[in-house]
Amino acid sequence: MRRRQLAALVRKDLRLELRTRETIVAMVLFAIVMLAILQFGFGTRDDDLTRFVGGLMWVTLAFTAVLGVGRSYVAEREQRVLDGLLVSPVPRVVMMSAKAIAIFLYMTVVEVVVIPLVGIFFVKGPYWESIGWIAIAALLANLCIALAGTLFSGLALFTRARDLILPVLFLPALVPVVIAAAGATYSVAGGPHDMSEWRGYCLFLLAYAILFSLVSVATYDAVFDD
Amino acid sequence: MITAHALVHAYGERRAVDGVDLVLHPGERVALAGANGAGKSTLLRMLATLLRPRSGDLQVLGHDQPDGARQARAGIGYLAHDPLVYLDLTARQNLELYGDLYGIDDRDARIDDLLDHVGLLTRAEDTVRTFSRGMAQRLALARMLLHRPRLLLLDEPHASLDARGGELLDRQLMAARDDGRAAVIVTHEVERVARVADRLVVLRAGRVVRDEPTTGMEPMDVRRRYEEVAG
Repeated sequence: MRRRQLAALVRKDLRLELRTRETIVAMVLFAIVMLAILQFGFGTRDDDLTRFVGGLMWVTLAFTAVLGVGRSYVAEREQRVLDGLLVSPVPRVVMMSAKAIAIFLYMTVVEVVVIPLVGIFFVKGPYWESIGWIAIAALLANLCIALAGTLFSGLALFTRARDLILPVLFLPALVPVVIAAAGATYSVAGGPHDMSEWRGYCLFLLAYAILFSLVSVATYDAVFDD
Repeated sequence: MITAHALVHAYGERRAVDGVDLVLHPGERVALAGANGAGKSTLLRMLATLLRPRSGDLQVLGHDQPDGARQARAGIGYLAHDPLVYLDLTARQNLELYGDLYGIDDRDARIDDLLDHVGLLTRAEDTVRTFSRGMAQRLALARMLLHRPRLLLLDEPHASLDARGGELLDRQLMAARDDGRAAVIVTHEVERVARVADRLVVLRAGRVVRDEPTTGMEPMDVRRRYEEVAG
């Protein structure tokens, strides 16, 4: 039953996104524009920005995540559907997990565009191998983003100043994710190609995701039922 | 179906529902009336498990609230002001979603039956955004009935339904007594609901000021009894 409910909710989010294309297109365009701005902000074309590769990419992706997470309950809020979901016998953890999966998938789509793009300009060493290691770290970071984002967007949903509250809550929670993901990216793409460092950062991301999943499961009911 | 005792809900310091007692038996249909701000919708949302009581005891479909909310929800059909459907999904996709959320075994056949019943079968593949308000509310009626709920909770249902939808709803409510389903109908249209309700409950400032059977009463008499106490 839970699996069927989860599949139905994820399918619904993907159907809405495929029909409206409001979130992913906005996220991808935002990420590309922000990358360009950061690149120009950090230096001229002659400067070697390789050592900033992790920071450039993950600051971009963190703000892109804020944009995506902020839109995660737009359909429910604007079309006033939330009561329909809340009055159904869906466990809150299933509802939130479905949103987390949707956010995870949106971020993954953005990264399919952003990571190769960053790679073209900034990666030193073997291109595809570096991209592969970055992608694995990115998936772990996405897990953290999706879990934290779902929790905070759920909290912000019931506040009046939700557009302000969400970044204020969510961005600080992303700081450890940005540090670890940027570290992992730099360790395989910025020159040293240090796999032990990469592994350490990835383990940190995994631990953070586990921590946030525990916090989320413990608080989901209170978010929606209180 | 419902047993509420000394139910209280407050927004800040203001008590929207202030010590309500209400018992609803299988097959019973209650018209819940009152002036604006009397606490009708707040009470209905508590019965629908969408709001937690601040104090008091509430049992819905045999389940203590709020602990048994999920079990109770499986048997509740809720019709709100808004249709509670996604505008960018088709009528069928919306019902498929709810069918899966409620775990309905004969989902597709049930959806076809209900879409036919509410006159939307030919528009099943159209997005709800293309529907009129009345059509969207008829879809909401299908959504409410999809999982064969035992308890119907309706918030001013006739206000947004078109004529056809209103007739369909009245027929459902008439049949509810024979099926053993119970209904609470929040309304301003007391005469209209009096035709399908067995009981009138009037709220004033969050308190029940009248609770009496309406069986055998003319709709105009029910209106008069309501106006005597509604304030």
